[in-house]
Amino acid sequence: MIELENVWKRFESRQQGHRYILRGVHARIRRGDQVGILGRNGAGKSTLLRIFAGVEAPTRGRIRREMSISWPIGGGYGIQSSLTGIANARFIARLYGMPLQRTEEFVADFSELGPYFREPVRTYSSGMLSRLLMALSFAVDFDCYLVDEALSTGDARFANKCREVLEVRRANAAMLLVSHNAGHVKKYCKTAAILRNGMLEFYEDVDEAIAAYQGL
Amino acid sequence: MIADVPRRAPSSPLAAQIRVISALFMRELLTRFGRSRVGYIWLIGEPLMLALMISALHWASGSHLPNDLPTFLFYGMGYVPFLMFRSIASRGAAAVTSNISLLFHRSITLLDLMIARNIMETLVCMTLVALFVLGGMLTIGEIPHHPGQLILGLVLSALLGHGLAMLLGSLQVFVEFTERLVHPFTYILMPISAPFYMVETMPPNVREMLLWNPLVHINEMNRWSMFGDRIVPHYDLGYVMIWVLGLNLLGMAGLRAARPRLSMSD
Repeated sequence: MIELENVWKRFESRQQGHRYILRGVHARIRRGDQVGILGRNGAGKSTLLRIFAGVEAPTRGRIRREMSISWPIGGGYGIQSSLTGIANARFIARLYGMPLQRTEEFVADFSELGPYFREPVRTYSSGMLSRLLMALSFAVDFDCYLVDEALSTGDARFANKCREVLEVRRANAAMLLVSHNAGHVKKYCKTAAILRNGMLEFYEDVDEAIAAYQGL
Repeated sequence: MIADVPRRAPSSPLAAQIRVISALFMRELLTRFGRSRVGYIWLIGEPLMLALMISALHWASGSHLPNDLPTFLFYGMGYVPFLMFRSIASRGAAAVTSNISLLFHRSITLLDLMIARNIMETLVCMTLVALFVLGGMLTIGEIPHHPGQLILGLVLSALLGHGLAMLLGSLQVFVEFTERLVHPFTYILMPISAPFYMVETMPPNVREMLLWNPLVHINEMNRWSMFGDRIVPHYDLGYVMIWVLGLNLLGMAGLRAARPRLSMSD
């Protein structure tokens, strides 16, 4: 379980002094949950995900983590773009203590990068980068995957593969996906929440959340 | 099959940190020297060329050293450790702000980044020194007087550089301008660190000033470890240790204070 209790986050900016981007977020993610968080650009989605991941500290509030949590998956975070896909796979394997050979095979197989697996990541298209990132994170047995738009560029075939993994690992694995796109949340999530005015509202039903989000 | 990955066994905090540092170390090797074998040769070859040039210049300028000290080796052994200190201090200082992408992995701390990077610099320098020593042994039969203490000297100067790198790196987060001062600072340090001359040959008042600098002590000690009693060394190991301890504690505290202030948003 991961629990956020009254989490506030303040950013300093040079022009306007400081500004609260999160104003009292409460959340609880359990094993097997697949939660989508919808929010407009600049609503603080990525910041919230970094706080979930524990790589950024909240200004105020409490976080309890009782699961192993992935790094925020998306945007080239946590990998080295001058290195090849295979070198990044080895790095992730070493870093998280996974067997090298197996991880390499898994990532090669899952990402379907073909010969590009041996090319520097900076030469990848955005779809290829997403596939690599998802493959790298799925290669580690996290209990919770934090996805920051990395699923938004994959095609239908890749989407199915990701869903399949999450389905099989459901007993252990949860997923938290942030997106501004209601379609992606509908495709991958069972419940959803909206991040608005620095607060998170949870909805039991994805469709209900989407309706509320689109009505904004 | 795609869904199934092995479950990891929990590991001790120490084992986990060693794992993180070794992963970063391997990554460091790859990013800096590429994937080819030539890259690994270059890793040693580039600073070796520089050190050989500097030593050759001094040797050719015909400067005469007391007690028939071998000129080429004398300058080489002075220059290489300074090169290490400088690259640890300046590259390490840049490591804090240039590796933010890696900090998206919660297990990686700024300290891990520094340690991995500086272990590599130290190993490169040790290899260079070993090559110089080997060269000296083969050509003029010069055998190090006290090899153990030579290694200690190199480790101490690496630790000194490591502490300084952490301190400068974290200062950079608070005061951006620090970044511009790092390079000039390491240049100024060169003439006042006695890599190319001996404290014994200096007038007493200069000698006293020089001995405030811990690098001078290390250079003096290294020369004695190499050439033995043909040299009158001036050094105090305890003084160096205090600097190492002080800089490292300050540096680690600095990194701790800097981490929450690093902006992860792009």
